[in-house]
Amino acid sequence: MAEASSVAKAHGQPESSRSQSLGTRVVKDTFKKRGAQVGACWLGLLSLVAIFAPLLANSRPLLQRVDGRIESPALQYMTALDLTLLLVFLVASVLFVLRVRFRNVVVVTAAACAVCFIALSQIVSPPKLSVYETYRSTNTAVEWSIHAPIPYSPKDYLRDFGDTGLLPPGADADRLHLFGTEENGADLLSRMIHAARLALGIGLVATGIAMVLGVFIGGFMGYFSGVVDMLGMRLVEIFESVPTLFLLLTFVAFFDRSVYLMMVIIGLTSWPGYARYVRAEFLRLRNQDFVQAAVAAGLPLRSILFRHILPNAVAPVLVAASFGVASAILAEATLSFLGLGLIDDPSWGQMLNQAVRSSTFNWWMALFPGGAIFLTVFSYNLIGEALRDALDPLTQRAESV
Amino acid sequence: MKLLQVNDLRTRLPSAGSEVDAVKGIDFSIDQAETLCLVGESGSGKSVTALSIMRLLPDGVVSHPSGNIELYPDPSTPIGEAATDSNSPWRPFNESPDQPLNLLSLDNTAMSRLRGRHMAMIFQEPMSSLNPVFTVGEQIVEAIEFARPGIAYAEAEAIALEALRDVKLKQPEIRYREYPHKLSGGQRQRVMIAIALACRPRLLIADEPTTALDVTVQAGILELMRELQEKTRMAMLFITHDLGVVAQIADRVAVMQNGCIVEQGTREAILLRPQHPYTRQLLAAVPENLSRQNRPEITPDALMRVEHLGVHFPVRRGLLKRVVSTIKAVDDVSLDIWKGEILALVGESGSGKSTLGKALVRLLAPTHGSILFGGTDIGKLGSAAMRELRTDLQIVFQDPLSSLNPRLTIASTLTEPMAAHGIGNSHKEREDLAAALLQDVQLPVDYLWRYPHEMSGGQRQRIGIARALAVNPKLIVCDEVTSALDVSVQAELLTLLLELRERLGLTLLFITHNISVVEYISDRTAVMYQGRLVEFGATADVCDNPQHEYTQKLLASVPRLHALGNAL
Repeated sequence: MAEASSVAKAHGQPESSRSQSLGTRVVKDTFKKRGAQVGACWLGLLSLVAIFAPLLANSRPLLQRVDGRIESPALQYMTALDLTLLLVFLVASVLFVLRVRFRNVVVVTAAACAVCFIALSQIVSPPKLSVYETYRSTNTAVEWSIHAPIPYSPKDYLRDFGDTGLLPPGADADRLHLFGTEENGADLLSRMIHAARLALGIGLVATGIAMVLGVFIGGFMGYFSGVVDMLGMRLVEIFESVPTLFLLLTFVAFFDRSVYLMMVIIGLTSWPGYARYVRAEFLRLRNQDFVQAAVAAGLPLRSILFRHILPNAVAPVLVAASFGVASAILAEATLSFLGLGLIDDPSWGQMLNQAVRSSTFNWWMALFPGGAIFLTVFSYNLIGEALRDALDPLTQRAESV
Repeated sequence: MKLLQVNDLRTRLPSAGSEVDAVKGIDFSIDQAETLCLVGESGSGKSVTALSIMRLLPDGVVSHPSGNIELYPDPSTPIGEAATDSNSPWRPFNESPDQPLNLLSLDNTAMSRLRGRHMAMIFQEPMSSLNPVFTVGEQIVEAIEFARPGIAYAEAEAIALEALRDVKLKQPEIRYREYPHKLSGGQRQRVMIAIALACRPRLLIADEPTTALDVTVQAGILELMRELQEKTRMAMLFITHDLGVVAQIADRVAVMQNGCIVEQGTREAILLRPQHPYTRQLLAAVPENLSRQNRPEITPDALMRVEHLGVHFPVRRGLLKRVVSTIKAVDDVSLDIWKGEILALVGESGSGKSTLGKALVRLLAPTHGSILFGGTDIGKLGSAAMRELRTDLQIVFQDPLSSLNPRLTIASTLTEPMAAHGIGNSHKEREDLAAALLQDVQLPVDYLWRYPHEMSGGQRQRIGIARALAVNPKLIVCDEVTSALDVSVQAELLTLLLELRERLGLTLLFITHNISVVEYISDRTAVMYQGRLVEFGATADVCDNPQHEYTQKLLASVPRLHALGNAL
């Protein structure tokens, strides 16, 4: 019966049509779930906000006409990172619109990312000093100007307004601070928008490092087993016994408070989980008939490992990764909450810290950054859960076909 | 005396967004002390029928648009008792305790009163149908206590022991206290039967109870079931796909196809005088009935010579992983494979036949002896030198689903080995070669762009063969290639293999447990028992005049269709 229907299906299609791959089907099934859709929407929104942060929240006008010249202070002050993000987004969107295959989009985007960043950090040198007041004062030379929707930079402490500090939303009738201001007087919404970069970045980079390490080490342990496996597992156990948070605290005390250091440390301490998953999958798949068939066909080891085993082993790792991203974000937030995060750069955890800093409970400092952390972690968990469900019934359904 | 009557039963299952009638209006009845065999290929709705009768399909998901299943009351129980027994499923229908019950209209409480005491079921896979954390005895006692509430524990224990004795387990007192992992597959199936029969059900539903077992074990179980049926006069609904088993055990037979019963009648009527074309087709596909072709003359010219081959696995224990003993999966096997022949390798599960097959293509390294192929001992080759030789030696596996990478299209699966061995100059050329291979194994060319999950079992196995052919091998090891397939698909595959052998001059090592397949396909036969080669010779000699004790037992255990014809 199944045979008859599949033959009928084949006749209905043009001969060249390539049928849906397993990966495509899993993605479709994942995002069929309402939870995953909501999660993806929030993360998508957050990514857009992170990419366009300098255009969304900036004290400098996006465009202004001074003395007959049209200039853009916002663009002028953009760092290499800002520009890279914008350019890469542009490249990715163009590729997407042109309907290039997804795998190629990823490759080209990654390449563009590296090239842009290296090139731009050589070319672009934004002025070190920024005097925000100049853009606010009624300078007669300025004929007209277009401001960002939130006309405050994250590090614009509004010194020209006098003694500024923690203010709830709508406390000052002259200035519109939708989410209020933080202890130095900077606009909270603006800081949150810029902090989205850190939250997304630290999650993705730290998890990326952990996944690459975990897949390689776990894969070798699983495929070669025996002594390699035994030594590998001891290494895994050593790394598992290192408490991430305390290591972070130690490093922060001795070295600079750097985002990159944090990413690397979180990545270096969280790979053992992935390695365990991958090892178990490789051990299982190593004896599967299709891998044996690949060996019997005389395929090179590279192909057996990366073409035949890895794609079939990666599913549980992806699920674990979506939870890993969430925990990396939480680790950074915890560190910042303890006051050991980045000093001047905005971070959601550091904002939470200020909610209880003075004698009063500053509700806006708790609600908005806390809500953002909650939603982001929740989104990753929702997607992770949907992914797990989408991958789970697959074997059964494949058998019934 | 009628026991069960099924009228116009329809079972509707949800399937990929829509609903499918897995059973499309079937009628049959079973009398007391009678065995009805439900025969059909996979997907014909046999198991769904059994599960519908037991009401084991999930409520709310499965619906029965029409039909009823009537269970007749036991005439030996006085009507008054049935009405007063608080556990009788007839109790809610007090006014008519002598009327049949419609099982489809009962609620779950009433059904659970019926299960065990009135009808019991045993399943195909004995390895997973016992709970590993309870002893055999506890599991039987639990069933008895459930079926007869209020029974004293000592009495239940006595009944359980008696049940173990009934199923002829050796040393029932010891087995009673053992956990399932200590028992073999056949012993576990006996325990399953003991659990089912401990409560003396009037109807036993057996869903492929011997399919997962070796032939010799199967013969014992079938005999046991017949004996127990005579003793207890229970009715049996026996589901199987094996017409040989049907010939042994059935009183009456119902043939199912696509959810319908196409033909039913007595065993002799169905097997000897089939009326429906589908029944004829099924019978014709049984290897015993396949038309024999003229075989090419094989000259004794050894393609591969195996000398004193041993594959031993060390058993390691303790902290330092000291080798405490070795398992001799293959022990001192010597044989030669002639160019162009089909050599069958027969044996029960665990006899080492698959291990030997894998060692011959160097998927396992031999620990002793030598495998001479074209003058070189492939047992001692390094992996690089072996990779060169792999074009000559290929293997096809038993499970067609797990032997194909689910993430690769058929085109990639077929072209990758070609690329690795420099066959074909460009990707395009290799794709053309792959298309030609698909035609060789009689599949449409557009299957190149399919994924394994979009094909049926038989089609996947054809791809497995095509992949082996992709590198133009001299010897192909076929490891139980037809075991997971229906008889009609098996027949097609066997004829395909014979045709390919003829056309491409292949040599096949055909590993199987199915004697009738051996008789059909092979030129010579080697019989393995506990890692050793016990008999080796021309197939006709081995099958007609077995020398070794094990071979004699094996051949005697094979359920045969012809035995029935000869007996009449």
